[in-house]
Amino acid sequence: MPKMAKRQERRLVWDKARTRELFCHLREYDDEQSRDELIAMYLNLVKYLASRFRNRGEPIDDLVQVGTIGLIKAIDRFDTTRDVEFTTYATPTIIGELKRYFRDKGWAVKVPRRLQELSFRVNQAVDYLTQQLQRSPTIPEIADHLGVTSEEVLEAFETSEAYNFVSLESDRGNEGGDSFSILEYIGKDDQLMGVIDDRTTLAVAVRYLTPQEQRVLYLRFFQGLTQTEIAGQLGISQMQVSRLLRKTLRSLREHIIMEEA
Amino acid sequence: MLSDRITLTVPSRSEFAKTVRMTAAELASRLGMSYDEVDDVRIAAEEAFVYACDCADPSSEIVFAFTLGDGTLCIDVGPMETCCTSAGAPAEGYAEFILRSVCDEFSIEREVGRCTLHLCRRAERRAGEAGA
Repeated sequence: MPKMAKRQERRLVWDKARTRELFCHLREYDDEQSRDELIAMYLNLVKYLASRFRNRGEPIDDLVQVGTIGLIKAIDRFDTTRDVEFTTYATPTIIGELKRYFRDKGWAVKVPRRLQELSFRVNQAVDYLTQQLQRSPTIPEIADHLGVTSEEVLEAFETSEAYNFVSLESDRGNEGGDSFSILEYIGKDDQLMGVIDDRTTLAVAVRYLTPQEQRVLYLRFFQGLTQTEIAGQLGISQMQVSRLLRKTLRSLREHIIMEEA
Repeated sequence: MLSDRITLTVPSRSEFAKTVRMTAAELASRLGMSYDEVDDVRIAAEEAFVYACDCADPSSEIVFAFTLGDGTLCIDVGPMETCCTSAGAPAEGYAEFILRSVCDEFSIEREVGRCTLHLCRRAERRAGEAGA
């Protein structure tokens, strides 16, 4: 196998010509050196993509490691005969690996797989039945639809609390503004503060909430919208509204207690 | 229609919040409440439990009395002896704010040195149901 000439000059990030050259060599001779250079060359892409998940409570180094696994998979699977740039192919593979990592870690509490799966199905059934019935379904209706008992639906309902795959974390401090949080889709306004100006303690606690959390709080508790209606307005699922509300209430409660202390 | 009454006594420790939520959710579902309404009942039960835990001695117990009427679930929490003796405390204001929002009825019944939370949630009548 002929040796690949090492680049002496400063390496250009995502150098297309060099990428093609390395892939050709890798496919033809299966040499580790070309593979390693490709990994090194695209590590910046991994770091960039990992940074988009940085506000989800995981160390960035761990995310870069996970993303690098995605990069290696992309390098091994990339079809050089197709007229596609490697970055186009690698990006969804790396993001997929990062999302899978969050999905697997998303269950903060150890939950049996059967319940995890049932929770997913209940979530889908609630959305489907809400559309079909044009109202929030009852627990027996969800159970009938899924062929399970009402007790199992309630158990899954409770289980969903342990699940946090769709990040509802606040974007405080995220200056890049490029996270995948569903909260991006929630409007920003301060109607809530206007309403509760005269409720001093509550007003102080509400200031600790993000504008998005304030928005959901306002819609549910001041506008009196149901979870189904909020879900429709914000374009998210009813179960996501439920989790967001619960998180917001807990946050509010903690701050009320802090203020009290 | 006669009311059914279910009494649940739990230690005043946070790990029993799930027990309270699950019981409340099951009873709400039994009354034909929707997913939305069941979740409101769960929020109410949890808020009432947290409020009661703040009031109660950690070694004590909290009594939840659930009453099932015609499409209505009422929950009486207490009596608690160590707080809610004075109106207007911030935590109380917060509990009232949440509980009034998710319940159709909410009140704090005070006696000398003790109090009981009283909350009710009604299932909305749906088209095709008796009385709708």
